[in-house]
Amino acid sequence: MKKRKALTLTDVLVTVVVSLVFAVIYSVWGAFYTALKPLGIHLNELVYGMWFIAPVVVYLIIRKPGVALIAEFAAASAETIVLLQFDVMLIIYGLIQGLACELVFAIVRYKSTALMVAVSAGTAAALSTLPLDWYYGYLAHLETWNLILMAGFRILSGAVVAGWLAHILYRALLETGVLKLLGQYKEIEKEA
Amino acid sequence: MFESIKRYSTFIDRTNPLTKIVAAICLFIAVVLIHDPNHLFHLSLWMLLLFLVMSGIELKYQALLIAVTVLTGLVSSAYMILYGEGDTTLFEFGLVHITEESIVRGLHITMRGLTLSFFGSLIIFTTRLTDVFYSMMQQAKVKPKYAYSFMASIRMLPVIVNEFITLRRARKVRRSLISRKHIGGLRGFTSTVVILLSQSIRRAHRLAVAMESKGFDDGARTYYRQTRFSGYDVCFIALIAVGLIASYYSGQWITPFGTSDAR
Repeated sequence: MKKRKALTLTDVLVTVVVSLVFAVIYSVWGAFYTALKPLGIHLNELVYGMWFIAPVVVYLIIRKPGVALIAEFAAASAETIVLLQFDVMLIIYGLIQGLACELVFAIVRYKSTALMVAVSAGTAAALSTLPLDWYYGYLAHLETWNLILMAGFRILSGAVVAGWLAHILYRALLETGVLKLLGQYKEIEKEA
Repeated sequence: MFESIKRYSTFIDRTNPLTKIVAAICLFIAVVLIHDPNHLFHLSLWMLLLFLVMSGIELKYQALLIAVTVLTGLVSSAYMILYGEGDTTLFEFGLVHITEESIVRGLHITMRGLTLSFFGSLIIFTTRLTDVFYSMMQQAKVKPKYAYSFMASIRMLPVIVNEFITLRRARKVRRSLISRKHIGGLRGFTSTVVILLSQSIRRAHRLAVAMESKGFDDGARTYYRQTRFSGYDVCFIALIAVGLIASYYSGQWITPFGTSDAR
């Protein structure tokens, strides 16, 4: 694999199209998420991690600076297109979550595809929007047990869904051989 | 995209998409900083009015959209209404603890959502999607590589959705032949997503090869559609600014909420 760090047209296109697939999933997931809301005990937070699975998966398949940010931005904005609802919040949240993932990937210098990297990126993304929710949703005025439940569910979900599930998807994609198009032969041999 | 359900167009259709996006971000910040429920109540009414008058789509779609928005808005703040802190208890049952303060706070969160959703709906029905990318390239100087990637990919959206439907049908037909664990649960989910992803990666790769072989690059270029800033943008910003300020003053006059601070 040639060492090219700048994003090529192929990288950008693959990033955006993969994010689009996730945007479709996000939209289906949104109904599920809303259905879990009314009880108020934050069961919905358990599936929250799905909302930042795109940057993790895209990072695992491309591993270049910037892709995680583009991926989450693309997924969030495409979701607003699919749902016919231009939601600023969604896009701002997407950008913040993308940045949080990007930060974790920068720490490992865009090299590692270890499960731990994916899990920590998912966790970082889960943590990243809590401050904003704190102001937006007046979380300081929530009863403490409820707040802990919410934060706990969200972090758990970030680690499991955005981290672990993203890694499963990545390994399955490796097996299909489609990543050869992106120059990932080495990993396939290693896996085999 | 929405020509079939539009009755008329307004100047907002000719406002630069970039202005709308910047205005949306400013509105989000403003909404987070507003703590007076009366102010926010009038602001959300203002946005509702703007949506009704300026979006220009047919009434039944407007009604449907408003109903969905209000419902999801209420559901989203259920956690605060049911479990928020407060002193004046209205209802208590087990863990549920509804207080006057938590209701006001919950409704405040709902109105935040409504304000942003009404504004968002106004934008989506008055903006041509491709214009967003054209103005990003022309006014915000985003590299064509990114903007055209977005534009080309969005055309693939129906293909992805179709593929998903085909896949589901194929599974339905073969239901009795395959093991159940491949249909539902985690295995079912991953196999569906992996198929969609791998096909999309192939398509994206083909598209990239095609675009590159036709000489696509980030160099100087001309655009099929020109977007520019104009007087409409000033009007649009004025409309939002007037709403923000006027709702503050009318919020002092007509007060549906007894308190001026939701915290």
